Amino acid sequence: MNARAAFIAIVLLSMGSAFAQSPAAAHNRGQLRLPEFAGLTEKASESVNVTFGPELLGLATRFLNSDDPEAAAAKKLVSSLTGIYVRNYTFDTDFAYPKADVDAVRRQLNAPGWTRMVETRSRKENTDVDVYMLIENGRAQGLAVIASEPREFTIVNIVGSIDLEQLHDLQKLGVPDLELETGKKPPAAKPAPAPAPKK
Amino acid sequence: MPDDLLLRARAGHATAFAEIVEAHQGSVFSIAYRMLNNRAQAEDLAQDVFLQLYRKLDAIESLDHLGFWLRRVASNLAIDWLRRLPYTTTQPLDEGAEVAAAATDDDPLMSRELARLLGELAPAARAVMVLRYQEDRDIAEIAAALDMPANTVKSHIKRSLTALRSRMIGAKLITAEELS
Amino acid sequence: MTEHFEDELRRALRPVKAPAGFAERVMRALPERRESIVTPIAAKSTARPPNYWQRLRAPAALAASLMLAVLLGQRMAVQQQQQDEAAGLAASQELLQALRVTSQKLDLAYQAVKNPPEAETEENRS
Repeated sequence: MNARAAFIAIVLLSMGSAFAQSPAAAHNRGQLRLPEFAGLTEKASESVNVTFGPELLGLATRFLNSDDPEAAAAKKLVSSLTGIYVRNYTFDTDFAYPKADVDAVRRQLNAPGWTRMVETRSRKENTDVDVYMLIENGRAQGLAVIASEPREFTIVNIVGSIDLEQLHDLQKLGVPDLELETGKKPPAAKPAPAPAPKK
Repeated sequence: MPDDLLLRARAGHATAFAEIVEAHQGSVFSIAYRMLNNRAQAEDLAQDVFLQLYRKLDAIESLDHLGFWLRRVASNLAIDWLRRLPYTTTQPLDEGAEVAAAATDDDPLMSRELARLLGELAPAARAVMVLRYQEDRDIAEIAAALDMPANTVKSHIKRSLTALRSRMIGAKLITAEELS
Repeated sequence: MTEHFEDELRRALRPVKAPAGFAERVMRALPERRESIVTPIAAKSTARPPNYWQRLRAPAALAASLMLAVLLGQRMAVQQQQQDEAAGLAASQELLQALRVTSQKLDLAYQAVKNPPEAETEENRS
C-alpha cells in the first residue's frame, strides 16, 4: 500500500466482524442530506451533479465496459457501494457559491460514527478540504469529501462498504498516472499489438 | 475541395477518393501520431481509417461531415489501440516526425517536452487534448466525436492542463510565476 | 496566464506531415471494387393472384394483422431496449465522472497534507 493509500487508511480500525445492522439502515446513516443548490447550475461554468442510489448504481455499473481499465477499476470499487452523491460546481468568480450551505453539510459530519481523517486549511490559497469516514464495526461504511476552493466547491458522499485499496485505484480514473503524483515509475512500454498485414 | 468530390468518390472514381485522402492525410496521421507517439503505428492506424472511410462513403453526408467522421474514427481507433496496452505506459517520443507548419518555436525544448508529456495522459484525456489543441475543435464537437458528455470533455481539459503544468514546473521548464 | 500555456500547447501540437507516399499506399491497399450499399429495389410481381387467394382473404388479412402486431411489438421492444441502453450508457458515463471528481479531491487533500505551505507552518509555530 503506498503512501497515498496509507494516508487514506490512517485511522481505520482493524477489520472486524461483519456489520450487524440492516443494509438499509447502514445506507441511511452513511448518506448525507445534500442541499439542492437551486440555481447554481445556471451560475456555474461547469457542474457535476450526480445522485446514484442502489438501483441507479446497479444500472450504471452494468454498462461499464470491463475492457476499459478505467471502467473496470470503477466497477470493482462500486460493487460494494450503495450510493454515490456528488455536487461539484465551478465558477468564473471567487466564492460565488453559498458557503453556508457547504458548512451545513460539514455540520452533519459531527454525528456519531463519522471520523474526520483530514482537515486542511490554506489561507494562502483560500482552500479548505475535509475528508471524513464513517467507521462501523471496523469497516469504512461511508466517505465524505468537502472541498471549498475560491472558484469551485465539491461535496462527495460515498455510501457502502468501501475498500480502501480500490479507493486508491481511483487514481486510474482519468488522473494522468504521472510519476510526480504516484511516486512510482510507470512500467516500461510494451509494443502495441501488431497490426494486420497490409496488401 | 469541390462539392462533387464526395459524389464522385461514392460513384467509384479512384482519383476522387485519392484527392480526399491527400486532403485529409495530414490531419488523420497527425491525430494518430499524437495519440500513439509512434510513426509506424500512426501510419498503420491512419491507413485503417481511410480503408474504413472507403467502405462507408455512403454514410458521409457532406464534406464537413467527412472531416468530423475522420477525426472521430481516428481518435476512437487510437483510444482502442492504446487501451490494449497496460494502463500505465510511457511511450517515448518518436523522433523525426516532420512538423507541417513552419517552426515558430521560441522554445523548442518546451514544445518537445509538452508533446512527450501528452503521451502520459490517459487515452481519453489524450484524445480530448489532441482534438482541442491540435485540431482546434470546440467542446461540443469533441464530445460528439468521443461520445462523452460536454462536462466530461471540459473536465479532461482542465485536469490535463493542471497535470501538464505541474510536470512542466517539476521539470523546471517553466516557473509557477509564469503560469500564475 | 492559462492562455499562454495553452498557446504553448498549440505550438507543441502543431500537425505533423503524413509520411511521403502515404496516399499512394492507401490507394494500393483499397479493395478492387467498392461495393455500393445501395440495393436495387426488388421487382414487383405483376402476375394476377389466383382466385383461391381471394377466398382466403379474410383469414389471411387477420394473420397479416397479427404478424404486424407482433412485428410492431418487437420493434417497440427493440426501441425500448435501445432507450434503456442509452440511459444505461449515459448513467455509466456520469458514474465515471463522479468518481473522477472524487479522485481529484482526494488528491487535493493528499497534496495539501504532503506539502503544507511553509509560510503557514511558520505562523503556526509562532
